[in-house]
Amino acid sequence: MFPWFKKKSSAKTAKDRLTIAIMADRTNNTFPFIEDLKAEIIEVVKKYIDVKKVHIQKENHEGIEALSIDIELDKK
Amino acid sequence: MGIVIAVISGKGGVGKTTTTANIGLGIAQNGKSCVVVDFDIGQRNLDMLLGLENRVVYDMVHVMDENISIKQALIKSKMSPNLSFLAASQTKDKSVLDSAKINKLISSLKEDFDFVILDAPAGIESGYEHTIEFADRAIIVVNPEVSSIRDSDRAIGILDSKSQKVKNGEDVEKYLIINRINPQMVQSGEMLNSEDILEILSIPLLGKIPEDKAIIDASNQGKPIVLNESSSAGQAYKRVSARLCNEKVDFVDVETFNRGFMQKIKEIFT
Repeated sequence: MFPWFKKKSSAKTAKDRLTIAIMADRTNNTFPFIEDLKAEIIEVVKKYIDVKKVHIQKENHEGIEALSIDIELDKK
Repeated sequence: MGIVIAVISGKGGVGKTTTTANIGLGIAQNGKSCVVVDFDIGQRNLDMLLGLENRVVYDMVHVMDENISIKQALIKSKMSPNLSFLAASQTKDKSVLDSAKINKLISSLKEDFDFVILDAPAGIESGYEHTIEFADRAIIVVNPEVSSIRDSDRAIGILDSKSQKVKNGEDVEKYLIINRINPQMVQSGEMLNSEDILEILSIPLLGKIPEDKAIIDASNQGKPIVLNESSSAGQAYKRVSARLCNEKVDFVDVETFNRGFMQKIKEIFT
């Protein structure tokens, strides 16, 4: 009724923060098997070339879901 | 064949065990046979809330490991002849839990009861995973508060990847209970409202439970609040229990219904 008395609503802040945090959580935890998958990829690739690290991310391009796998080589 | 419902939350202390006790008794009062099982191995709380702590002789692990029959371990509640309780083990490590044994236990409970309600431990560790493994449905309990809601989303994610039903290509039905709603705070914009929580988690609502001081009194006495028909939380749990028994019960707007006169005056000026 008298908007100049109104406090800033912290519930709105909570909703905004939660929406972003949960979106990030869901992307990071899409596949529970991701750590096992990383370890296995390292094992396979290691037979041919030294591997330092594997990064896996789920991506979504125009409705097509894809796993993007980056293999960082161990340069020696 | 009974329905297995896991009561989960992710975060601890949001009212998971209180909810289990109340919907268990509520369902029993609705005329359905119901067993509540405490899956919080190593700790015990559900027996206290049901007033059964002095009657526990055998627990879940005795049944799974030591040839004690389920009948010997089940405790019948004096509050309703339809309600039974199976206690958690206090002494043994939770690594004793094993999928095959749990499956056997739950399958035989399903044969004897209309509802098998499992009180999950807090967190998302192995004890939690074992609780959801053979569940047909899950009730997610949250408080209108950021850490509870975020943690519940993680617990739901694990439910959706590790439950047996999901592995078989089926869905585990999920329902949300929003517990400890403070109507005044929701109205003044200091607490998340139910619509926002439902939008964030996107699972259907089973019930809204207002914050109620009578809950403490109820747990002090070991008499679930659903027995107290004059309390707002008791009435809310009664509605939830009826919904679980497939009755159509309208949702009550607990976020606005108990505005007092002074509150209304205050609202005009804010």
